[in-house]
Order: sequence, then C-alpha cells, then structure tokens
Amino acid sequence: MKLLSQASARYLLQHRVQLFLSVLGVSLGVAVVLSIDVATESSREAFRISAETVSGRATHQIVSDVAPLDEGLLSRLRIELGLRESAPVVEGYASSAALPGQALRVLGVDPFSEGPFRPFVVGGGLGVDVADFLTTQRAVVMSRALAERAGLTVGDSLPVQVSGDSWSLQLVGTVDPTDELARAGLADVLLMDIAGAQEVLGLVGGLTRIDLRLPGGPEGEALAGGVRTVLAPGESLVTAGTRADAMSGMIDAFDVNLTALSLLALVFGMFLIYNAATFSVVQRRALIGRLRAIGVTRGEVLRLILAEAAWIGVAGSAVGIALGLVLARGLVRLVTRTINDLYFSVSVESVPVEPALLMKAAALGLGATVLAALPPALEAAGVRPRVAGLRSVAESRMRYLVPRAAVVGLVAALLGGAVLALPTVGLTVSFVGLFFVVAGLALTTPAGTLVLVRVLRPLLHGVGGTLGLLASRGVAGALSRTAPAIAALVVAVSVTVGLGVMIQSFRGTLERWLDGTLRADIYVSLPGVTASRATGTLWPDLIDDFVSHPDVVGHSTYRGVDLLEGGGGYRLVALDLDPRGQEAFDFIDADEAEVMRAFTADQGVIVSEPFAFRRGVQRGDAIEIPTPDGPQNLEVLGVFYDYGSDQGAVMMSRGLYDRFFDDPGVTSLALFVGPGVDSEQVVRELVAGVAPDRTVVARTNDTLRSASLDVFDRTFQVTAVLRLLAFIVAFVGVLSALMAIELERSREFGVMRAWGLTPAQLWKLVVTQTGLMGLVSGVLAVPMGIALSVVMIFVINKRAFGWTLDMQLGPAVLAQAIGLALLGALVAGIYPAWRMARTRPAVALRGE
Amino acid sequence: MRAQRAFVLLFGLTACSGPEPAAEVEGARLSLVETLSGSDTVGYARALEPRAFGFPVDHGPHPDFRTEWWYVTGNLTSESGRDFGFQFTIFRNALAPTLPGGPSAWATNQAYMGHFALADVGVGRFHAFERFARGAAGLAGAEAEPLRVWLEDWTLEATSDETFPLSLAASDGDVAIRLELAEGKPVVYQGDRGLSQKGPEPGNASFYYAHTRMPAAGRVVVGEESFDVRGLAWLDREWSTSALAEGQVGWDWFALQLDDGWEMMIYRLRRTDGSADPLSDGVLIDPDGLRVPLEWGTDVFMDATGSWTSPIDGTVYPSGWRITVPERGWDLSVEPRLGAQELDVSFRYWEGAVSVSGNGEGGAGVEGRGYVELTGYAGFAP
Repeated sequence: MKLLSQASARYLLQHRVQLFLSVLGVSLGVAVVLSIDVATESSREAFRISAETVSGRATHQIVSDVAPLDEGLLSRLRIELGLRESAPVVEGYASSAALPGQALRVLGVDPFSEGPFRPFVVGGGLGVDVADFLTTQRAVVMSRALAERAGLTVGDSLPVQVSGDSWSLQLVGTVDPTDELARAGLADVLLMDIAGAQEVLGLVGGLTRIDLRLPGGPEGEALAGGVRTVLAPGESLVTAGTRADAMSGMIDAFDVNLTALSLLALVFGMFLIYNAATFSVVQRRALIGRLRAIGVTRGEVLRLILAEAAWIGVAGSAVGIALGLVLARGLVRLVTRTINDLYFSVSVESVPVEPALLMKAAALGLGATVLAALPPALEAAGVRPRVAGLRSVAESRMRYLVPRAAVVGLVAALLGGAVLALPTVGLTVSFVGLFFVVAGLALTTPAGTLVLVRVLRPLLHGVGGTLGLLASRGVAGALSRTAPAIAALVVAVSVTVGLGVMIQSFRGTLERWLDGTLRADIYVSLPGVTASRATGTLWPDLIDDFVSHPDVVGHSTYRGVDLLEGGGGYRLVALDLDPRGQEAFDFIDADEAEVMRAFTADQGVIVSEPFAFRRGVQRGDAIEIPTPDGPQNLEVLGVFYDYGSDQGAVMMSRGLYDRFFDDPGVTSLALFVGPGVDSEQVVRELVAGVAPDRTVVARTNDTLRSASLDVFDRTFQVTAVLRLLAFIVAFVGVLSALMAIELERSREFGVMRAWGLTPAQLWKLVVTQTGLMGLVSGVLAVPMGIALSVVMIFVINKRAFGWTLDMQLGPAVLAQAIGLALLGALVAGIYPAWRMARTRPAVALRGE
Repeated sequence: MRAQRAFVLLFGLTACSGPEPAAEVEGARLSLVETLSGSDTVGYARALEPRAFGFPVDHGPHPDFRTEWWYVTGNLTSESGRDFGFQFTIFRNALAPTLPGGPSAWATNQAYMGHFALADVGVGRFHAFERFARGAAGLAGAEAEPLRVWLEDWTLEATSDETFPLSLAASDGDVAIRLELAEGKPVVYQGDRGLSQKGPEPGNASFYYAHTRMPAAGRVVVGEESFDVRGLAWLDREWSTSALAEGQVGWDWFALQLDDGWEMMIYRLRRTDGSADPLSDGVLIDPDGLRVPLEWGTDVFMDATGSWTSPIDGTVYPSGWRITVPERGWDLSVEPRLGAQELDVSFRYWEGAVSVSGNGEGGAGVEGRGYVELTGYAGFAP
C-alpha cells in the first residue's frame, strides 16, 4: 500500500498544474457556498439579536395591525388586570448626520417598567442617571461604541432626522454592556424615554407595542384571555418573536435564491473534480493495469483514487474556507444592502462565523470531491488488467454510453421539468427540479457534441483542410476526455446565459412597468430607511404648499401602512388618484377602466400580483383587512402588476380607507405639472420653500425612475457576483480539462511533428480543436440557457416573489454565450498549444 | 418625618432591576447619597416657615416639593382573632424641579414608589412588595379633589365627595388588603404648627401632619384564606425638600396607639456615633386630639432592650424598647409582634407591627399597638 501511495503522490506532483486547478476549483466552490451562508446568516443573526435585544425577555407582545396602540391601554392592563410585568415600547427609525449611512433604531421605553424586560435599561453601575433620562427633554442613551463612533460624549447633543423632521437629542449617558449579545443588539439603538421617543417619532398618544411577561400554563392562558378582552379591533396579543419571525420570513425567498446560486458554484466545483479524477484515471490506465497485473486488488485501486480525491478535497476545503471568509465580508455588505433596500433595516456589526457553517462547508467540499471522484474510481477499479492500457476500450465504452446518457439525461430533464410544472411545489423543490433539468441536459451534451461535430466537419474540412478534419476527429474521437469538459462549459455558459436573460427580462419588465406606473411628473416623500418603500407622514401644510404651486395642475396622494402577519407582511395603501394618474395600473385579465371605476367608487380593493400569488387570491374573491372597527371583508376588484415589492400590496381608494381608518396622513405625494413646464425647475422651487428643519425628497419622474432602477441593479449585484464566481469555477474546470486533454496527446502530437507538422500548424490544430469545443459548447449552451431562463423567469421567480416577468431574449445574450464559450476554450488551449509547439518531437515521443 | 425616604426612591430608580454585583450597587448607593447631600434642592419649594394648611387640598400632592408621602400603617384583627399588621405607602418624588416639556403625556418629572407590607402575626409570616411608576399616563399620581393617590392598582382614595372615609386597596400575588378608613381623631400638626425641622439649616424641614387614630375595617386575603378585619390605622402625610443633615444616618420612629385613647409619636434621628440628634422629636396626643410636645432627652427617654439579626446579611436591628416619659408617669414596653418585619426592597429597612404594655398617662396600666420604623441600619456603614 505504501508503494501505491508513493505512486499516487508522484503522479500528483508530476501534474502540479492539474493538481493546483483541482484544488482551486474545490476552493472556489467551497468559498462561494460558505460566503453566501455566512453573509445571509450574519444578516439574519444581526436582525435576530437586535430584535431580541429590543424585545428583551418578553413572552408576549400586544401589537396593532392598523394604527399605533392607544397609550391608555397600559394603565388599563396594570390597573384593571393587575398585569404588572408589562412595558410600553415606542419604536422607529432615525438617521443622523453624525453617523452617516446608518439606520438608527429609536427605542422608547419607560424605565420604571423595564426591570423584567431589558436589564440594560435599568440597573446600577451603568452610569446613567435615570432622573436625567426622564427629565431631560429628548434625552438619549446609547452604547459607548456608538457614541464614540458619533464622536459624542455625555452632555453633547446628537442631531437626528426622523421622517424628514430634524431633532436634537441630548446624550445623557452611555451603556457599555459586558454581555456580547447585548452589545451587538444595542449597536444601532438610540434608547430614549417614552415621552421623548413619542415626540421624535411622531407617535404622541400611541405606542408601538406593549411587551408582556405572562406565566406559562393555565394561569398564563387565563391572563392572556383577560388581556384579549381589553384589546380593540386590530390589536392582538402575540407571542414574542412572532413579529420578528414574520419580518425574518420576508427574506426567506431571497435567501433560498442566494443559496441555490452558491450551490451551483459547488456543483461546478464537482465537475472539476470529476474531470481531474477522470483524467488521472485515464492517464494512468496503463499503470493501473500493471498494478492490477502484479496483484493489487480492486479495492486498493478504488481506495487509492478516492484517497487522492479526499486529499484534494481537504486541501480545497481548507483554502476554500479561508477564501470564503474573506469573500463573506464583501458579500455581507451586498446582502445587507439589499435587505435594507427592500425589506427592513438591519445593521451587521460583525460577521460571526458559526462553527456549524464551517463544518457544512468542509463537509460539502470533501463530500463533493469524493462523490465526483467515485465514478472514475469505480471505473479504474473495474479495469481488467489486460486491456487497461488501451484507450480504445475507454472510447468504445464512451460510444456505448453516449446514447444511453442522452436518454437518461432527457428523462431526468423531463422529470425535472415535470416537477417544475407542478403548481403546488415550494421554492426548494423547484430548485431541485431545476437541478435535474440542468444535470439532465448536461448528460445529453456528448450526444449533442457528436451530432454538432458531424455537422461542422465538412465546414472545417473546407476551411481548415486536413488540419480542420483532424481537429474535428480529435474532439469526437477522444470523447471520453472531451465530453466532461464540454458538459462543464455548457452548464457554466448556460447558467450565465440563463441568469443573464432572467436579469435582463426582469430589468426590462421593471422599466416598462415604471414607465407605465410613474404617470406623475414629480414625486414627494420623506427620507426613509428602506429605499424601496416610502414611510412617515408628510406635513399637511407642506402638501398644501406644494399642491398650490402655480405650475402644479393636479396631484395624487398615497398612504402606505405596513402590516405584518404570519410569514411576512404586506402594504396597505390608500390612494387618492388624480384622473391623470388612473391609468397607472395594468391589470391581469381585467379591463382597466372598469376596475378603476369600481375602485374609485369605493367598491373594493385592488391587490398586487405578489399579494395575489402568496395568498392564492383572484379577482372577485373577498379578502379580510384588519381595521380599527374589526376585520373587513373587501372584494378584490383586480390584480395589478407590481414590481415595487415582493411582499405584496393591497390598495384601496382614499374614501374607503377613511371610512375604516382614523388616519388622515399622507405618505407620499405625486404632482402633475402643466404642459411644457420644466419639472426640474418646479422641484427646485418646491424644495427651496421647505422650512429649514424639514427634509423632503422631491424627485422628478426621471430621477425616481433611475433611482428605482439603481435599487434594482444593487439588488442584482449579489447575483452578478455569484454568476461571475460560478463562471470562474467552471472556466477553471474547462481550462484544466482541456489542458489535460492536450497534454495527454503530447505523444500523438510528437508523432505529427516527426511527420513534418510545423509548430505553427500544431498551434493551429490545437487551437482549432479547443475552439471547436468552445463553439460546440456555446451552441449547445444557447438552448439550455434559454430553457434555464424560462424556468427561472416563469417558475423560480414566480414562486419566490410572485412576479410575472416578460421574457426578453436579445441576440446579445446569445452571442455572448457563444463568445464566452469560445473565448474560454481558446484561452484554455493556449498553454497546451504553446507547450506542444515548443516540445521537440523526440522528447514528446519518448513518452512514459 | 421620614425625610430620608428621598434616598429610597431615588436609589430605587437606579437599582430596581434586580441582581447586580454588590459592589456596583453599593457604589450607586453611595454616589446617590453624595448627590443628594449636595445642593440639588435648587428650584424646589422648601418648608421655610409654618403654613396655613387647607383641606382637602393639602391631602393632595405638592409637586413643587421634592418628596412627599401618604403613609398608612395599622394593626388589624380578624373576627376569628387572627392578628395582622399592615403598611401601605405611596411616595412621590420629583426628579427635577420642572417638567421636561414636550407634547407627550408620558413626559413628567414625578416618580412614584409604593411599599405594601402585611405582617401575618397569627402565623408569623411577613409579606412585602414594592412598585415604581412614573407619575404620568394614568399609571400613578395624586389628586386632591376628590382625594385619590394611586400607583397602578394600589390606591388610597375618597369614596364620596367627602375626603373621609378613605378606601385603601393593595395587592400583589395572593396577598391583598382592602380597607375603609374613617377619619377618627382630627388632624394633628407635627413640629411647629406642622413645620417639622430635620436639620439645622433653614428649609431642611418638612410639612407634616397626621391622622393618628383611624378606625379601619375591611378584608385581608392571604393565599386561599380571606379575613374580615377591624382595627386602627395611622396616616402620616409629609412633604419636603430636605435630606438628612450631615452626621445623621437614620432614625427610629414610633407610632403607638394605646387603649386609653392616647397616642405617642416619637422619633430619634441617629447620628453617626449612635447618639440622638438634638432635632429628634416626640408628641403625645390626648383622647381629644390635643397634642402634648415632648423634648427628646428631657421629657422622653428610649432604650433598646433587645435585638434582631437580619438573615439577609447579619444586620443587627434593635428589637424591643423601653420608652419613658417620667414626668407624666409613662413607662412603656414595646415589643415587635414579629421579629422578621424587614422590607427587603430597593432600600432595606425594618418597619413592623408592635405591641405595647406598661403604664400610660398618670401611670395607669395600659396596653396598645403600634408601628415602628428603623432605617439606616442596613446598607450604610456607620
């Protein structure tokens, strides 16, 4: 056995480049998976810690879906129900010029109620004088780290902005929790007395929630029952964490998509290992045959090959983990920015690495490597000593396998397609289906290669003469070597194409939708925390001022309230539409004018496509909307296309909204200017008239449109990065495979050189051959890429986010596919060609 | 009296959260004493000279003064003969002289603390509870007309347009009390016409009046059991912007109700060296409600006859006293009805029901009940 290990080690050392590429492939695969895991996990963890820190040790919470809680509820709970362990909370977001780019969480509490809930609020030795906290108007306490970052010491004031209003908070103390968790949870918290928080957040008279601690068992049940009797409609008692879970659930689909992409990189890494292991077996067939002849058993051969793979797996995983941790730091920023753009505010202070994630990455790396090496290892072990040296055996076996693989592949792809076609399956299963489609189509590539090469042969012959013919025979005749490389290249390119088409279609759909939706000339909202969603309430006098600007000829108002429930949430919107803005909606299977007539006549609501998709709602159904008067059943008048949020939206006319809600506020305002008026100029005039302590965001149609597309582009940066990484892994795989093929044929080339082939002709031969493989891969990748994009656009996206996208297939994407494959293959051919051309025929012929 | 409860309240605010390292708590405590012995009386009203009390207004709050309390203690007996002592106190404390401003109903400079204790003398158990709330948003507060003082569901309030009878209610877990208190004897003004000097400096004084014999009837609940009870209660009302003077560490306060119709209220302000401060004071109230002032060390003498050691940290409290007013023939023996009546709340002190026997006015044999408060023993190093 020692002899075997030595043989193995020598072989690997003699093929250092290949060894390096194999390890690199595994490393990249592992790194991508780990970094995505760490990035999504970090953002979730940061959200969880911050949610837990602010909800403290509460077991239950009273929350309201429809409006702030009435602040009088707390004294009723305490006095009528004797519910001692109850704490009022007012919560919201602020930003500060002293802490640029950071969303700050304002947590307003009553220190007297905090004892059982948030120990960091009260407790001796924290250096905070509770009397100062209570009696200094707009006093704030923050973690020492945050104060240092803002450059503040106790006694200083912190300028903040909340929904466009400017405030000055007085820093009366800092806390420096020794507990790591509390420290992380407080990283973005501005702790204020409830009075100051109400004032700053514009919640005077209301509470965001009431935290409770209820005992378990029947006693707790009885208390909970008592609590429910004093709740108004729309207010509910939920267990602590329900809301955090619901919020966290918003990003589930987003996470699954990222994880699927990251696994793709690992699958490419597996291809690479498979290639490397196959070649190491193919190249050593003679050696293995001799070993078998002298009595080495099949098991020993099997173990030998698998051990080699395992070592590559270990090395690749180790490098991959290190690489992944570096990569994760970059990806965390992209991932959290997207979450902040689209879902909720989260600030990741650190990137803690769970040992479990490292284990998972290492196990994936090692497991994938060994798994990929298994087929070639089995093949090597199965070799009969006598025929081992003959490559023709491998080739005839390949010829036997090709049609069968194509059939199996087609069946697998059809099976995957069938899974995808089932309307009921979830997102994860859809990805499994997608994997089957990809793997199945990959299995058909050898057959496809044979067909294509045959089709191209006359052409090659015509253009390249004998060399062209030789090149085409080289590809088809060495299928056992070329097929895996071509398959890998096809998959990589098709995934790139698929993602490209998907992103392009998505962006195109969004652009068209924006063009249709953004009917007004100027949009006014408050600076908010989440880029894609307006929040807060515009000042009524400002609305009056803006609307009465001489150039403004009409306006629409928008009121958006976010409702949380179950596994996510949606936005309830009240619209007061100017007649000019009524065509902004594009309905699914319904007459626009008819729906809008019913809508403006307060006859029901319209819902966005993601909302309808998530809840299985159709036009004509009734949906239940929580209101202060209790839940209301409203008819769905129409389902409109909406790409603004994957969480869904329900819109009703302002009249209907005012009937149920005592909430005259306006979240954003759309203004129409007269014909020929310069919107930019009007925006400048409007903004100039705003009081200095107020900040509004007034944007022209064009600015808002490009801002929206910016958010989109930012969102897909992560995808683009992953796409690139996956392609790099695949490219490395192809590079190593092609190199191995060409290097293995050095003896053959030596013979050709001896016959009189010049170095230039050899160059031409090798490059034609790899170019042919690239061309074949590119051509095969186009239909496969289109198939993938169809799945991603019409199945994955729909199931993840509920959007219908228009598929947009430009020739550019397809040309790009073929170009990529060609380029990849040509680049991969350069080194072997250069090396062959340099080698003296005699050396090459000396062989083993 | 009970000026030092200002410390109790403020300390409670910074340390009501539960277990903290002892050193930190000690530090917080000491720094608070330092803070309060300083000059933060600025901006508050002060008790500088006797005032004209007016009722029912003066039953209500005086938010310009830093501290104030409604302090009810009493001894009760059930129909079946089970004895109880109770203490119900609501403290008001101004955290700053002025309101913080702003539109929120939660904005306040007033904080409230409540202590409720029940001595279940019959079975030898003692229950004590503490609460805090801000004086806003309906959680806690005080109003004069009609009288209503409350901290969540602990309340002391008039039951009609008249101030008396008062209704008192408090509960925590399975311990509850609900009493109706009649006025009993008229108001007694302590000190100089209700101005009670606590330190040598002007203004280091409180306004102080009491109802010393209020017939009480109601119900006490302990666990599964509930008792109809009767007895006598004592209401102390005091407001001030004062603190313990330098060298004072605490006090021993006695409120005794004798069955011949007399009451005695005395307090000894203890100095660091264990001696009585000259400002220690006392008074006797005759059956008609007339007060007889006592000069400490000349008219009235007090000696501890025993001690009780706290199981918490070994703090030793005096327990059992001999109090004499030789000129009038008074010679009383005062014994706690339970040893363990220490309130283990933010600021530890002993406040408990006592029984009295001996000789009263004119040397006649007399019995009685009362309440004793001992502060400055636990936590403060002399």
